[in-house]
Amino acid sequence: MPTTTCTCGGKAVAKDVKDNIFLPKEAKIIRVEKTTEMERIFTLRLADESQMKFEPGQILEVGLMGYGEIPLGLASSPTRTNTFDIVVRSVGRVSQALNRLAQGDSLLVRGPLGKGFPLENLRGHDLLIIAGGIGLCPTRSLIQYTLDRRKEFQRFILFYGARDPQQQLFLADLSDWRKSKDVEYHETVDRGDPSWKGNVGVITTLFSKTKIDPGTRVVICGPPIMFKFVIRELEKLGVARQNIYLDLERRMKCGVGKCGHCQINDKYVCTDGPVFPFSEIEKLEEAI
Amino acid sequence: MSFHFIKEQDFAAFVADLIRAKTVIGPVAKTSRQQEKFVFAKLSGPEELRLDYDVTILPPKKEFFPPKQHLLLFDGARVSGCVEPVEKVLFGVHFYDVKALDMTDTLFREKNEDRNYLAHREAATIVISSIQKVSPRAFWASIGSEVKPRGHDAWLTKVAGGHVYEAVTAKGEALLKHGRFAQASQPQIAGARQANEEISKQCPEQLKGTSASNAKKVRAAFGVEELWTKFAQDCFSCGSCNTVCPTCYCFDVQDWWHIDQDSGGRTRTWDSCLTEDFAKISLGAGAQENFREERAERFRHRFMRKAAYLNEKLGGPACVGCGRCSAACTADIADPATVINSIPEA
Repeated sequence: MPTTTCTCGGKAVAKDVKDNIFLPKEAKIIRVEKTTEMERIFTLRLADESQMKFEPGQILEVGLMGYGEIPLGLASSPTRTNTFDIVVRSVGRVSQALNRLAQGDSLLVRGPLGKGFPLENLRGHDLLIIAGGIGLCPTRSLIQYTLDRRKEFQRFILFYGARDPQQQLFLADLSDWRKSKDVEYHETVDRGDPSWKGNVGVITTLFSKTKIDPGTRVVICGPPIMFKFVIRELEKLGVARQNIYLDLERRMKCGVGKCGHCQINDKYVCTDGPVFPFSEIEKLEEAI
Repeated sequence: MSFHFIKEQDFAAFVADLIRAKTVIGPVAKTSRQQEKFVFAKLSGPEELRLDYDVTILPPKKEFFPPKQHLLLFDGARVSGCVEPVEKVLFGVHFYDVKALDMTDTLFREKNEDRNYLAHREAATIVISSIQKVSPRAFWASIGSEVKPRGHDAWLTKVAGGHVYEAVTAKGEALLKHGRFAQASQPQIAGARQANEEISKQCPEQLKGTSASNAKKVRAAFGVEELWTKFAQDCFSCGSCNTVCPTCYCFDVQDWWHIDQDSGGRTRTWDSCLTEDFAKISLGAGAQENFREERAERFRHRFMRKAAYLNEKLGGPACVGCGRCSAACTADIADPATVINSIPEA
């Protein structure tokens, strides 16, 4: 498509502009781990060696020139050194190109973007994180954060549901969490296999495994269908709507509140979210 | 602010001198077998300028936010921005399009400033011209009257014997040196005001109610599914209404390569929330989620955007009554006046 015309006259001369919201930064791949058939975990460091300053729950636009960008939740905690993790699921042209990259290669990132988990509202309370499927990636940032600053929180409970045992992400982390005294970890799979000894059933079946105090702060991230069922359970337990936080997924194409693809009513998920208190979006008809 | 007058016989020389000095974009005729249509295009002579146009096919936002605009260029590993504004004069813009430009300015400026738009916008001088002919689907006189045109540099009004030129900014003042202007007399200024008032009585369509009452009833109708299903039943999801709209600013971003397979760019193109794929995401393993899957949902989203969602930010509706969407819609179901008028009061 080299014949594209634009207001710069299609000239090859281009100049960098300060604060160009579309200009990405280069990041080096420090490590790649194939975690499932479809997902890879990338550990990255900014090429200029500066620290990526972000909050758990914020997103990055990650891409390669000539392919495009995709929005991804940061999957590691800002408390952990000067690297950061992302998880790429191979679903389209950009993600497949990213998943062909190896250690030492570079990719491009823009961000951090959006609003993350409201740490000030979570500290000092019981915290329940409910992650379904790839929803474990952005919540892993908060999980690591909570484990690193464990004393700032009361009880810490984690529910994780995957479609089947082969779809489980972050196997080393799961192994640690199963043994850890710092987190009450409960897991389930929708469909088991002969090797699976754990719970089988949808994620809401985990509510029967433990007692949740109504004052608990709850963070939910998962496939769209999961939210309604989980919220129904939380309402039964008496958890207030303003204490339930949803990490929503939409088509965050530009990431800076302009392109319009991620709108829910009058909200832009990329700048007003992706994390929203349920009380803020319960009246937004298209939210969940 | 100052008022000036130029005689009709001196007007062509003024435009000619302006074109010699600057890049001037104005309304020009684009004839087809059926009828004469108009577009904003670069003027090469004063005879091309058609201030008697009714409405242009595309709004003037394309000068700052073109249908295709490079955001980044790359050459090997080197990636660079692509903002290179060209100074230009937009001459002969109707006031409703200036209102729309001002809204677009606000939206590209809020939160994260989009220099790819704003740099071009700031490099422009905008001259409004009075409406001399009203388009068949216009209703600009009855929508968002509390939102005044802002951001223009001058306002030109045709009166008996010539034109009154109201310079609003220093940029508008600076164009005076290109023509034989005299100070406008009080009767000429009054004549200009009257001409602008008179023409507004000729809008063929009328939106009933106030901006606030319309926002309220449109918002309240969100859950009335049968209403939106009925409105949208003939919708082709083609996005024509979005494409011709002066306040629509959604876009898609795509990368491309030069034939050398080593260089290329990232380009944004206008996108339409009425199209089926607009809110669709891929979940992997062939699974997809479309957050506005139904035509009625997409149709409703457009009306919420135009009549309700943005009102607080913009001070009124995100529709200026140009009537372009009504004229562009194959099924003729996009007309905001018809749709909003037929929504019952909350």
